[in-house]
Amino acid sequence: MSDDVVEFFEELGRRGHEPLLAKVTGRVRFELVDGGGTTDRWLVAVDKGDTVVSHQGGPAACTIQAERALFERLCRGEENAMAAVLRGALVCTGDVELLFAIQRIFPGPPRERPAMPGAEGSR
Amino acid sequence: MTENQVKILDGNTFVVSDERGDIEASLTDPTGLFSFDTRFLSRWVLTVDGQLLSPLSVDDLQYFETRFFLVPGTGTVYVDAKLSVIRHRSVANGFHEELTVLNHDDKPVEVTVRLEAGCDFADLFEVKDAVDKKGLYSTRLDDRRLVLTYRRETFSRSTVISSSQPCALDEHGLTFQLQLGPHGSWKTGLDVVPEMLEATEDGDTEPSLAWQARRPRTNMARNLERWLDQAPRLECDWEPLKTTYRRSLVDLAALRFSPISAGRHSLPAAGLPWFMTMFGRDSILTSLQALPFNQELAATTLRELALRQGTRIDDFRDEDPGRILHEMRYGELTAFEERPHSPYYGSADATPLFVVLLDEYERWTGDTRLVRELEFEARAALRWIDEYADLQGNGYIAYQRRHQETGLENQCWKDSWDSISYHDGTLPGFPRATCELQGYAYDAKLRGARLARLVWHDPAFAEALERQAADLKRRFNRDFWVEDGEYFAIALDADGGQVDSLTSNNGHLLWSGIVDKAKAKAVARHLMGERLFSGWGVRTLAVGEGRYNPIGYHVGTIWPFDNSFIAWGLRRYGFKEEAAQVAAGILEAAEFFDGRLPEAFGGYPRSMTKYPVQYPTACSPQAWSTGAPLLLLATMLGLEPVGEHLLVDPAVSRAIGRLELLDIPGRWGRVDAFARGRVDTSAPARGRPGR
Repeated sequence: MSDDVVEFFEELGRRGHEPLLAKVTGRVRFELVDGGGTTDRWLVAVDKGDTVVSHQGGPAACTIQAERALFERLCRGEENAMAAVLRGALVCTGDVELLFAIQRIFPGPPRERPAMPGAEGSR
Repeated sequence: MTENQVKILDGNTFVVSDERGDIEASLTDPTGLFSFDTRFLSRWVLTVDGQLLSPLSVDDLQYFETRFFLVPGTGTVYVDAKLSVIRHRSVANGFHEELTVLNHDDKPVEVTVRLEAGCDFADLFEVKDAVDKKGLYSTRLDDRRLVLTYRRETFSRSTVISSSQPCALDEHGLTFQLQLGPHGSWKTGLDVVPEMLEATEDGDTEPSLAWQARRPRTNMARNLERWLDQAPRLECDWEPLKTTYRRSLVDLAALRFSPISAGRHSLPAAGLPWFMTMFGRDSILTSLQALPFNQELAATTLRELALRQGTRIDDFRDEDPGRILHEMRYGELTAFEERPHSPYYGSADATPLFVVLLDEYERWTGDTRLVRELEFEARAALRWIDEYADLQGNGYIAYQRRHQETGLENQCWKDSWDSISYHDGTLPGFPRATCELQGYAYDAKLRGARLARLVWHDPAFAEALERQAADLKRRFNRDFWVEDGEYFAIALDADGGQVDSLTSNNGHLLWSGIVDKAKAKAVARHLMGERLFSGWGVRTLAVGEGRYNPIGYHVGTIWPFDNSFIAWGLRRYGFKEEAAQVAAGILEAAEFFDGRLPEAFGGYPRSMTKYPVQYPTACSPQAWSTGAPLLLLATMLGLEPVGEHLLVDPAVSRAIGRLELLDIPGRWGRVDAFARGRVDTSAPARGRPGR
């Protein structure tokens, strides 16, 4: 089990309220498929930004499925969720608006090089 | 590219063919069936007994359907037309084509009809740049369908071709063996349907992207009729203006685009054919132009841009928290992160303009619910201005791309490489703080303050914004004002020095209200002076500047959209006659383009060419050119929402005569505006203050 994924979901659960999801009410099920064919499920229930995360399956308005390796990269900010959806590597079924909302919580890419003048917004 | 292309479209699905209805695209040739930024058909060639056909006529029925009348045989030799063929094509999910073959002879005839089909599945970006494909092609024949597929890892796009009449299918097309009786006819319906992605492995669920892309089409003819019915009615003495108005309404209908997640709501895409997607700047400015005529476009634009607002720092995409997107794409290069458009955020003006549109929308509609709904995003946009856009550390919005290969160099509306120059023609370094961005920021702060007080019930925030705006205005009028020229510099360079050329951007500053009253007269005099005003409109760059070129993209041409905002700006400062003159010039130019204003036309003096010289461009109609006549109409009529009422204060060219706009929608229900042309626009107005 990857620490990045567990850490991502547990941290999201600890936040309790996520302002980026303040307009969102609904349940999103994440399905992480292993090479061996097993599926690891996480359920994120959002009620106007109040977020409860559980490590289990369950009914959801939106399901987001991906290989675990891809999901690990998403949690580290190394992968862009919307590009992965266009590629078919991240498969969303159900309510697409929930996908648009929930992808906001993934981190930005790690910044390797020293910031250019144009990148000073990071301060 | 040939001269006689035929284009039909619905949203981001469009077909570009030759006059026969055929498509024979090479990788770099922009014909084919396109949907979601991918070419789904690059070869579609009809033959009868092995012969290509000749067009007799093309009937452009609507923007979404067309009819080709054809006879077998090509070339200069007169064809003995015993047979004729009609292709009636309409955009649906992909396109539907009714193919009819008519025998005009009194004898029976046997003919072989063949449609060659093929696809390169090029990304729209590849069509421009000729990039080699990295995936694999396959073809499948199943039952009565020909399925063309392209796969690269998990990425897949397919085209499904079927016929309502029996045919022989092979990997390269469909063949029909027909026996037509004397004066007989035969007909088949052909469907070409794009498929995004494939069903998941268990087979019972389908990716949302796939079914969202395949939303059922409403009755398009009825939809267009309703669209036209709901728009205000224009009555006037000058016939060409009616033509231009109707053209604008129909083109705006054609440019409507529903991004995935918008359901049946639509917003203006930027332009046909290459820009049928959401652009922050273009969608916002076009929605602003169209507000007095249609308010749903603005509501959808605001909601969809809010949904995709930046939330993190991503240098590849020039994304920051609160930033409003620049451009969004769905093609292969975007999917594999070879292009940053998922979405790309490299625009420095869309974010303040988002707040401007939200406020202007409320002033017209009274829809405080949407203002409440978007409070979080509007605040984030205002925060972006101060926290992320101040790249020079001097309190001004500036831009500099963070990815050299794929980022945009100029992140303002004048986005070509040489658009921002000093008087001597040299180019400044980066970051660049162009002047109109500061105007937009000023306006966004004041409008944000109004919304904070009125809807968000946060007077402290409102006061803070107003203080910041006042400070910005004071500094701006000091730092950007070119003393000896009496106009505003187009930008400050990386060292805070003035980029001192005289440009149309001064008009946008009037629109934003950032110009000190005492300086407005000089600015208006420049806009209407011979260096900027050609007689048709205001040039992007003034005659006498180092880079001035009457047919240079942003360095001398006249942009109708630019002029519509300049006219609005002139009115804001009381220069009613000058605004009427700009409006008259652009609307008179429209007559030369049958009511469809191009993106830009030449900056030659009107007295020299007598007609506006079109700038060669692949994009027409273009959304904000389509919106220009609408905003010019509103400007001439002096339409201004004040509380629950619509103020009408016309200043119209005498050449236009009587002008009536009936049933203008808004928070007042529907009202009419009447005007009579009294402004003499035959002699140029020269920046006289309003009376």
